[in-house]
Amino acid sequence: MKPIVRLLAALLVGAAMGLIYGWVVQPVRYVDTAPGSLRADYRTDYVLMVAQAYTAEQDLLTAQVRLASLGPQPPADLVTAALTYAVDHGFTRADLETLNQLAVALRNAAPPAEIQAP
Amino acid sequence: MKSFLALLLAFALGLGGGLVYAWAVNPVSYTDTSPASLRDDFRADYLTLIAVAYDAGGDLPRARARLAQFAYAEPGPILAALAQQRLGQGWPESQARALARLAADLAGPASVASAPASPPAVAGTATPTRTATPVPSPAPTRTPTSTPGAPFRLLAQDPVCVPDLGQALLQVEVVDAAGQPVAGSEVRVVWDTGQDHFFTGLKPDLGIGYGDFTLTPGVTYSVQLVDSDQPVTGLTAGECLAEDGTRYPGSWLLRFQQPAR
Repeated sequence: MKPIVRLLAALLVGAAMGLIYGWVVQPVRYVDTAPGSLRADYRTDYVLMVAQAYTAEQDLLTAQVRLASLGPQPPADLVTAALTYAVDHGFTRADLETLNQLAVALRNAAPPAEIQAP
Repeated sequence: MKSFLALLLAFALGLGGGLVYAWAVNPVSYTDTSPASLRDDFRADYLTLIAVAYDAGGDLPRARARLAQFAYAEPGPILAALAQQRLGQGWPESQARALARLAADLAGPASVASAPASPPAVAGTATPTRTATPVPSPAPTRTPTSTPGAPFRLLAQDPVCVPDLGQALLQVEVVDAAGQPVAGSEVRVVWDTGQDHFFTGLKPDLGIGYGDFTLTPGVTYSVQLVDSDQPVTGLTAGECLAEDGTRYPGSWLLRFQQPAR
């Protein structure tokens, strides 16, 4: 076997072992995740909890702050996505109405005031 | 020898390249995480949200299902500790109250005077699969003898001498008209230079209607259950005599009960 082939083979074996170690044996661990990385069902349940809390508290700002943990998307979009998931997965009518109440409130909320350029 | 070193070097380079690719360039991606992997502060927010949602809907089975995602053996004490922590950090009292209520209700058949009747719910939470099986909600625990909104009355004010306490405590027990403990009752404590408050139910192991507050010797306190119109004034840490003649701080136990209809 030519030396260059042996070197290439050693390189490939090393790379393969590195990948196996990095992906399987000791992968990057995400233990301190944010709500934004939650699986779709958990995200939907999170939004549902926010909606349930909103139903009792009637505090739209708090609901928006809670929804902001899920990512940079507009809160109304997050609730709409949750509604879609809830409809697709057979959530109860009460849950759908709760989500819808929050969605409507968010849509009707006044947009934040824009900062005027000097 | 030289050839062996070259092989070793190539292997090390390959290994290093593989690790860089696996850890930095294209690491294992966790996009579909569960609440159990949340960072501590997000986890605290999530637990609080479970409690607030429970407080709003009163659906205990659903709250249990949500808490099950965290695989806590005993979620009650964790929620109670979180309630105390949030209260101390200045979060809204409603959050601490909701956490305390859920902690108390998880501990057993609680008497929660404010528990609203919840409609039958679907366990559609925390699972990607369709779970349309209706879960009958528990019957409202409101007792027919309680009088919603009626101010609680001071039933007893007793000195407590227990050496094991180690400090003077203001202990409060709140029960409803049926004698069942009531969690989430707010107690205000006022003294010359300040004021504070606490809730019942934050120490479920001592009873869900129980709450306590550490008294500073030499300070005179006024105490009032928020749901009562009877303030208790002139409370000071007492002094008790042990069998061996030593003295230790004495506590007070106040018992409040809601009058029957």
